[in-house]
Amino acid sequence: MSRFKLYQEEFHPSPLQHTWLEFKENHLAVGGLCCFMFFLFIILLCPIFAPFDPLMQKTDAILIPPAWEANGGIVNVFGTDALGRDLLSRVMYGCRMTFGISIILVLVAMFVGVTLGAVAGMSRGVRSSVMNHILDSMMAIPTLLIAIIIIAILGTGLINSMWAIALALIPQFIHQTRDFVRQERKKEYVMAAKLDGATPFQLVTRSILPNMGEILVVQGALALSISILDISALGFLNLGAQAPSPELGTMLSEGIEVAYIAPWSIALPGGAIFLMMLSINLVGDGLRSALRSRLIH
Amino acid sequence: MLKVILRFANLVVLTLLVLSFFSFLLAYMFPGEPLANLTGVVRGNEQQLEALGQLYHLDNNFLVQYWYYLAELFDGNWGLSFSSGLPLASEIARTLPASIELSTYALILSMFIGLPLGFIAGLRHRKTTDYALLSLSVLGYSIPVFWLAMLMILGFCLQLGWFPLSGRLSLLYEVPRISGFILLDIMWSDLENKSAILIDALRHLILPTLSIAAFTTTIILRITRRSVIETMNSDYILAALARGLTPWQILFRHGIKNALMPILPLIALQFTTLLTNAMIVEVIFSWPGIGNWLIQAIYQRDYPAIRVGMLAVSTLVVLFTMSIDLLIRLVDPKKSKVERVAI
Repeated sequence: MSRFKLYQEEFHPSPLQHTWLEFKENHLAVGGLCCFMFFLFIILLCPIFAPFDPLMQKTDAILIPPAWEANGGIVNVFGTDALGRDLLSRVMYGCRMTFGISIILVLVAMFVGVTLGAVAGMSRGVRSSVMNHILDSMMAIPTLLIAIIIIAILGTGLINSMWAIALALIPQFIHQTRDFVRQERKKEYVMAAKLDGATPFQLVTRSILPNMGEILVVQGALALSISILDISALGFLNLGAQAPSPELGTMLSEGIEVAYIAPWSIALPGGAIFLMMLSINLVGDGLRSALRSRLIH
Repeated sequence: MLKVILRFANLVVLTLLVLSFFSFLLAYMFPGEPLANLTGVVRGNEQQLEALGQLYHLDNNFLVQYWYYLAELFDGNWGLSFSSGLPLASEIARTLPASIELSTYALILSMFIGLPLGFIAGLRHRKTTDYALLSLSVLGYSIPVFWLAMLMILGFCLQLGWFPLSGRLSLLYEVPRISGFILLDIMWSDLENKSAILIDALRHLILPTLSIAAFTTTIILRITRRSVIETMNSDYILAALARGLTPWQILFRHGIKNALMPILPLIALQFTTLLTNAMIVEVIFSWPGIGNWLIQAIYQRDYPAIRVGMLAVSTLVVLFTMSIDLLIRLVDPKKSKVERVAI
């Protein structure tokens, strides 16, 4: 139904709509969002779409080049690796593993971090000061280093590397939440709720956290890209997921051995990581600048 | 001012104590005997083990043990490596400078590229140049560093054969170790074919440095761009414009200084990210640095080495960031602390 404007009505979008309107202007970011959706689609539906089992080895089809090369075949669109496993299926399952695990890790870290951050933000005095200082020095140590240390303690393996990365991601969420809660606690609407007799728990959950959603999404996008990078880096260094499992970093490190005769076996998994990171970073950037320009107007 | 310094010293000491206590705990958390994890002596005879046990006071309680552990740390007696049997202090002294060297060159390189590009993008805000640089920078910080390094090896070492594949120096040359920083060592040495060795060392340096610098360059570009945009939109720039200064005069007299001041510490803080990226790249290029050494230690379950390596790297990172923090606080007392990077 077409709506034409008879009067010079003013359009007042809600904050969320406003962010979307700003976000939509940025075509690169929208492209990133489409790419992100594509990856989500793949990780949800890869058992249906993947042509082969990612672990199935075909000894008569070793190192077949991808379909676009002269001697490649259409059966294995992305070619096969040194053990005759279909690369397309492996990359799809690899996306599921790397991307899917990262999403879970970020959600866990976000939950724990926001809880602790809210406690830190609401508390005062010596305890909070000590906690903050230790947190700040923790923030200075890069996540991958923390993850490597934790893996050194726990031993290598995918589960251990997941623990390590989740733990390493938590401090930044605590930091962000703490600063936000501190800043909002002084504002009038919180004071109003307080005068109505709200307990600190109610203050945080009903008044402050609903305002934090967008900041959390931006921070979550950042954490997601860090966690993808870390999971694949640990897999690449043989500290995370171990050899036969289709994890993109692990596939890269397997591909090194045949890199010279089969460059596609490192180009394709790496390209998948790159595209994932690219889409997440584009969306994160777009959201950030959308928020920024919304706050200016 | 004295108060600020004292508070920082306090904080540094506390953090280092926490870190060293953690590294002491690691000896108990790792599999195996705590004594072996502390000293690195696995196959000693009984008297030797007993003497070592007394040195670390293993029969006393935890805190006493920690105290003696600290004393040994300060004595430079860090234990032996399981895999090589060498004292860990000398191993760290050998590997740490190599990593610092690589990271420093990468930082310098990325500043030389990132700062001017950031200025260009910031001055051309919302124009084609800006968008192009911004899109390029997203590409730069999305690319996983290990993949970039592998692509570089594939392209420049294997296909084109321009650069050597691994290591720090060709095996033909031997440079006496003075500082551990390869370029300085070559300059100081009195070998006759100095320039040839220098060129060889530089050729080994190029690919690792470039692959580490790619990420940092884009971060620096974005930080600079944001800062330049904010500076050029401020009132004093408008005032200078109203006074009739040309854009170039404004940029050189007011713009550059004010845009650079807040971001230099942020750029210095990139050093830590650089160090982690360097740790990964070292493994790929077999660079004899701390990252490569630490990861080999994890493969070989060399627990004393992991304990000391972790302590050394985290101490370096904490000391570095805190001294930058202190410096900012002293130069600009208004600032309460460094903000996190906004890009």
